[in-house]
Amino acid sequence: MSMNSCPYVEKIIDYRLHRLTDEERSSFETHLDSCPSCRHELAIEMAVEDELAAEFQPGLIEQAVMRRLEIHKEEDMRSFWLYSYRIAVLGITAAIAIFVLLPYLLKFPRSYLPDLGKYAIVFTDFFAGLASIDPIFFFMGFGYFLLITSSIYALVQLRR
Amino acid sequence: MESKINEIGCLIKSAQDGDEQAMTKLITIHKGLVFTIVLRMTNDYDLSQDLTQDTFIKVFMNIKRVKSAEHLRPWICAIARNVVRDHFRKAKRTQAISFESVKDFHVKGESNIDSTKRRMVIQDALAKLAERDRMILTLTYYDGLSLGEVAQALKMSENAVKVGVHRARKRLRKYLEGYEHELLSIR
Repeated sequence: MSMNSCPYVEKIIDYRLHRLTDEERSSFETHLDSCPSCRHELAIEMAVEDELAAEFQPGLIEQAVMRRLEIHKEEDMRSFWLYSYRIAVLGITAAIAIFVLLPYLLKFPRSYLPDLGKYAIVFTDFFAGLASIDPIFFFMGFGYFLLITSSIYALVQLRR
Repeated sequence: MESKINEIGCLIKSAQDGDEQAMTKLITIHKGLVFTIVLRMTNDYDLSQDLTQDTFIKVFMNIKRVKSAEHLRPWICAIARNVVRDHFRKAKRTQAISFESVKDFHVKGESNIDSTKRRMVIQDALAKLAERDRMILTLTYYDGLSLGEVAQALKMSENAVKVGVHRARKRLRKYLEGYEHELLSIR
């Protein structure tokens, strides 16, 4: 507004934003009739307003968005299954660890193990029984192999 | 107005249930708004097309968060702004102040070549404004956005928006000094 020294020029924005009282508005409009510089400023304000109100339209983006959403959904499903797989692998790993490691642990004398009460004795007897069967050691070896490879895979995947 | 809000409410509900037709319709209704916001922030036509798509992807991935039709537009505006900011943050590049691509803009209701000249002058001045000022003006003058919606989108009070519009327009006018002839001769 600096190009215009008329004191009314400060009211142009408020006039366009409908922020003047009825009295101020009619006084400003009367002034406009006699002030070419304010009319000039008002015309500039209106040109700016036209541009500010312009709506830019992109091309047809609907199909592109829907296609990308489909791809996202597929990726989400894939990552869901991958995640489920990781969890399953970790679960199986933990289970194998318990079932394979415990019998080995139980080969140590009872005195090396913490006293977990009578429930622990029931479990330790059960696993000691398992460990005493020869074929179980074959499965234990296989279990260890699965345990080590799947743990490494799961941990690598989880870190990604 | 009420029936439009009801219609948008129905579309949101259907979109939340995965109805693709409703999603497409919501894109059609809001793409002008999103594109205008993004374009004002980037000044890059092609980039704005991509970021407009990104905005809608984010909108539909989180559509379940929308509780009412009244909150949809301010929410979409906020997402659009965040998408652009994230883009610049990731790209670590400053805003390009080039208006070559502005020539090809398709603006509703305008087709003559002279208006492009005027538009470029004003766009140039707009680009000199701070992002906040540009957003206040873009949203305030965008057809159909209420003061409350603008305030919600910009996370400001309605009073702060009113004051902000006044200040931003004064700054814009300052940047337009010397271009009065271009602005007025073609009107």
